[in-house]
Amino acid sequence: MKYVWISFNAILLALVLAPIAIVILVSFGSREVVEFPPSAWSLRWYAFALSQESFVSSAINSAIVAVTATAIATPLALGAAMSIARVRFRGRDLVQTLLLAPLFIPAIVTSLALLLALSKFDVRAVSARLVAAHVLIVLPYLIRTVLASLTRLDAVLEDAASTLGAPPIRVFLHVTLPLIRAGMIAGILFALIISFDNVSVSLFLTTPRTNTLPIAILNYVEYNFDPSVAAVSTMLIVITATAAAFIERTVGLRAVAKG
Amino acid sequence: MRRRSQMASLVLPALAVVIVLLVLPLLYLLSFSFFDANDGPIAVGGFTVRNYKTILSDQYYWRIFGKTLALSAITTVLSASIGYSLAYFIWQQRRWQSLLLVITLSPLLISIVVSSYGWLALLGKNGLINQTLIRLGLVNAPLQLLYSNATIVVGLVHITLPFMVLSILAALERIEPAVQEAAATLGANRYRTQWSVILPLARPGFASGMSIVFCLSLSAYVTPAMLGPSGPNFVTTLIYNEFVTQLHWSTGAALAAILMTVALATVYVYVHVMTRADRLSGGARS
Repeated sequence: MKYVWISFNAILLALVLAPIAIVILVSFGSREVVEFPPSAWSLRWYAFALSQESFVSSAINSAIVAVTATAIATPLALGAAMSIARVRFRGRDLVQTLLLAPLFIPAIVTSLALLLALSKFDVRAVSARLVAAHVLIVLPYLIRTVLASLTRLDAVLEDAASTLGAPPIRVFLHVTLPLIRAGMIAGILFALIISFDNVSVSLFLTTPRTNTLPIAILNYVEYNFDPSVAAVSTMLIVITATAAAFIERTVGLRAVAKG
Repeated sequence: MRRRSQMASLVLPALAVVIVLLVLPLLYLLSFSFFDANDGPIAVGGFTVRNYKTILSDQYYWRIFGKTLALSAITTVLSASIGYSLAYFIWQQRRWQSLLLVITLSPLLISIVVSSYGWLALLGKNGLINQTLIRLGLVNAPLQLLYSNATIVVGLVHITLPFMVLSILAALERIEPAVQEAAATLGANRYRTQWSVILPLARPGFASGMSIVFCLSLSAYVTPAMLGPSGPNFVTTLIYNEFVTQLHWSTGAALAAILMTVALATVYVYVHVMTRADRLSGGARS
């Protein structure tokens, strides 16, 4: 009975990994069709993918958007988390709910609302639109991680520093920040992943010329089904897995992933 | 006192960003759905409920909404059953817990377009499943496994599972070991303990997991777009179609408003149920 239970769950875990594993294997095929197992192995689809202008430029766009949005959202999240964790102000629960709202508003609705509002105010630059959308989706994750780190930190340490005469900004820079650094780095990495992977929030904000990588993939598979997307995906998986391994080592994936 | 209010004001920039980039645009979207017509992004004409009337009186929209709700509900139930099994399994493990968790959370880290592409490669005509079936001689020609409602559910369960497992696992970890021992001492066998002790205690985990998963399923776009039948097959793909293909912006805005209402109602019901449960148990849960 015990073995039935173990193998049942092992099968479930294998199914969870199956689509990801097959993407990696298929990417090393050499034929035009997606086949499993590949009848011959090669790296040609990697070369092909890297020579595709649409993949390369959209990957660069995605990276720029992810980094910019995270860079903007991180200080915002830090400030918000500091005041929520340290001060019991009126309406704190409402404020917290509002800040986490981007998590439970369907991303496609957010994208649409931004399209309408930004067009009305004539914000036409695609990069600005995308950054605005991505700041929104990474903000809740960053606030949660920083908040979790701050709650775990003993407030007595900060009190001690200010009793000893350190002004608030010094307390923050020399006591608080170093103590929550690991949590923050993990949160930032996770935010970068979330932004880089997200499709729905960008859906209405891109143009055929300025695209994000996931949307470029989505458009590509609509008309083509060759292993080049598998090659792009495998590169993405490797980058993500490296970042995820780092997060797991520092604060644990669970702490940052909690939706 | 001054320091306190200074500290409290640190929340303002983030709050301003959320209000300007989310709350106001959502209100604008909502108002947009009550206008007759539009000239690009500018709503023109007068106040009307016609857009909602069009949607509510047309079978076409009802069918897609019904289908979205049904598939999301099926996804939620499947995700809860599989999620419980995995969460319980991971909870029992000592040595491999971290590795098993990372595997379970992997769909969350991989872009949905990548995992959907993986399902295409697994379930397609030349995919692993069909090739295996043919090689085993079970079928002569490849089966059509893709582009159906069932494939949408498979894809959705896959991407929502991490949230379900995290929620249920958090609830399981709050159960004190003594509870299980007590049940055993009182003569309950493993199944009895499982059914009448563990499962009820995991209920808050199910509640939060299921509401998150239902919301995520409702608002999923990539999975129905890549794995589902062609044409508008889900509320999200319908909204996209209304906006991008049909250029019916007002109808699209009204559909988006309805989708948002359903999603927020789910969250509201969950929060309401949880606070009631909290009050009943004397606020023991945090």
